[in-house]
Amino acid sequence: MGYGLVALILLVLLAPLIALVVLSFWTQQGFAIDKTPTLANYWSLIQPSDKATVYFGIPFYLKNPVPAILLLKSLVMSLVVTITVLVVAYPMAYFLAFRVDRYKVLWLILITIPFWTSYLLRVFAWKIVLGFNGAINSGLISLGVIDKPLDFLLYNPVAVVITLIHAWVTFAILPIYVSLEKVDRNLLEAASDLGDGRWARFCRITLPLSLPGVISAALLVFIPTVGDYVTPTLVGGPGGTMIGNAIQTLFFKQDNAPLGAAVSIVMMLVIAILCGLFLWAVGYKRLRERSAA
Amino acid sequence: MQRIKFIDRMASGRLTRRQILQNAAAFGVAFTMLPRVTSAAEVLTCLEWTGYDADAYFQSYVGKHGTGPSFSTFGGEEEALAKVRAGFAADVMHPCNYSVGRFVEAGLTVPIDTTKLSNWKDVFPALQTAQGVVVDGNVVMAPADWGNASIAYRPDLIGDVFKDGETWGIFYDDAFEGKVSMLDDPLVIIIGQMVKGMNFKEANLITGEKLQAAKDFGAKAVKNSRFLWADATELQQGLASGEIVAAYAWNDTVKNLLAEGIDVKYAKPKEGYFTWFCGMTILNSGKADPALAYDFIDAWLSPETGKLLIEDSGYGHANMKSFEISDPEAVKAMGIIDPVEHMKSAILFEPQPSPVVNEQQRVWEEIKALKL
Repeated sequence: MGYGLVALILLVLLAPLIALVVLSFWTQQGFAIDKTPTLANYWSLIQPSDKATVYFGIPFYLKNPVPAILLLKSLVMSLVVTITVLVVAYPMAYFLAFRVDRYKVLWLILITIPFWTSYLLRVFAWKIVLGFNGAINSGLISLGVIDKPLDFLLYNPVAVVITLIHAWVTFAILPIYVSLEKVDRNLLEAASDLGDGRWARFCRITLPLSLPGVISAALLVFIPTVGDYVTPTLVGGPGGTMIGNAIQTLFFKQDNAPLGAAVSIVMMLVIAILCGLFLWAVGYKRLRERSAA
Repeated sequence: MQRIKFIDRMASGRLTRRQILQNAAAFGVAFTMLPRVTSAAEVLTCLEWTGYDADAYFQSYVGKHGTGPSFSTFGGEEEALAKVRAGFAADVMHPCNYSVGRFVEAGLTVPIDTTKLSNWKDVFPALQTAQGVVVDGNVVMAPADWGNASIAYRPDLIGDVFKDGETWGIFYDDAFEGKVSMLDDPLVIIIGQMVKGMNFKEANLITGEKLQAAKDFGAKAVKNSRFLWADATELQQGLASGEIVAAYAWNDTVKNLLAEGIDVKYAKPKEGYFTWFCGMTILNSGKADPALAYDFIDAWLSPETGKLLIEDSGYGHANMKSFEISDPEAVKAMGIIDPVEHMKSAILFEPQPSPVVNEQQRVWEEIKALKL
């Protein structure tokens, strides 16, 4: 059973990845693909230029600055999403772990209800909430707060961030909840007995012991959101595009699959390196040993 | 692990985070292994513009075969081309006079045997031999629908300056920032150059230094667009709600909005408006019986489909008989009903060589990516 699963994972995960890596070393020539291995695609991503393209006040001295700019933008947006998701999810998980005594299953199911509809529908729902004639605008108009619809709600990076936060918050609640649930209640009692107040007890016992859950939640949200494609397409407008959109257009509109593959690989590597650095910085191994003890 | 047991154990905190992730992964793997339902005969697969997948457009095909083909919709021909080249097995595709050449060049088309199309004899003779329909002596596209591309606007919201001198310049005018919507297409750069005085033929083929110089002006339309549309429904909603007051649009958007009782006008900009004709192409990537493809194309060429296009969308049709059976009011509202005259009255979209397409696409993506 175990080996079968491993073989399957190799097949469904590794095979496409290898295909992508191989593709990234080829080049597109019109409708044909030149299969001579070359680093040209990667080089074109970092090829310097004397002319700077300024984006958000940052000069990019690159000949083809688009992938670099969008990657940076996507990383920043995902970071904002991840941090907000953790801030929102932690109290919910805490409540579930420590305050709910009965019907926990019911609570868990309630929290996962948004998952019962498709991701696409949830993104569309946000389009309706944030839209020109949407829930927020019509609500504010009927309350007399504004007389013209606010147009900064939709079609910008903020709309993308809001939608992503909502879509991913459940993914964060579950791992944090599991970590919190495993915290030994005796330790909390002992802390109280030894004179810790609520806040001190939380900071010294609960939070450190739940950090593995928080960290895995952070990774679970950060990694997929960097490359998200659907959300920016629907609520982002021209200003809300992310690296996923750039990869899609390279494959489907610009007729350059090898370059698209190279951008995908670079994105994967950058995310992997950032996650590695993050885990090293927080001392994940040590944390895990402590919470296991 | 049984499902209920799993949820129960998760709720009571007896599961580790890793076990949960393991189970989630196992579920994902198992899901991809579910057997696919296979059908006996291959169904016709059609790559179609969004909105054209309604049964009414190929009624005789549905009558004969019971159901319509299976559809995959696209917002632009390049997207459809890439999809087929990536291995999507489509039998029929709906390109236009200016884009069919790309499919021919990519070696994806099959010459159409017009003797197998019962409605071919009623197609306007000029369209039977038009550029784009015939390539290298073969008919590669059966012409079906034709129409315009111009500015649809809300006269009640747009202000007098535009009404007094209708111009494509509105998209490049900062005064209309956030109030207009352009098509998500490099055409925006070309129209920008036309606003600045270049003629269409030259602007259509713009590349190199000149294209780089045209970038900044094109970027204005991206900045001013509330959104760049790829889906006419989104555009229609935007115009209906007043979120945008003017947009690049095809005839059907105007027609649909008028039918909804919304005050909307179709401009005749001073730089000119565009016209196009599109049709059906048989692709060699398909797996279905070619006879199905011919039935489908024949259905598209039928006068009944033409009547629907004329009356409901304000489009023209390739079949001469369509105009005879349509509501005379609708035909009159169209103005010119001879496609050749129609195309002379406006700027006919023209094909671009592949390197030009690629370069313009690249610059267009760059403009969009750099928008704040």
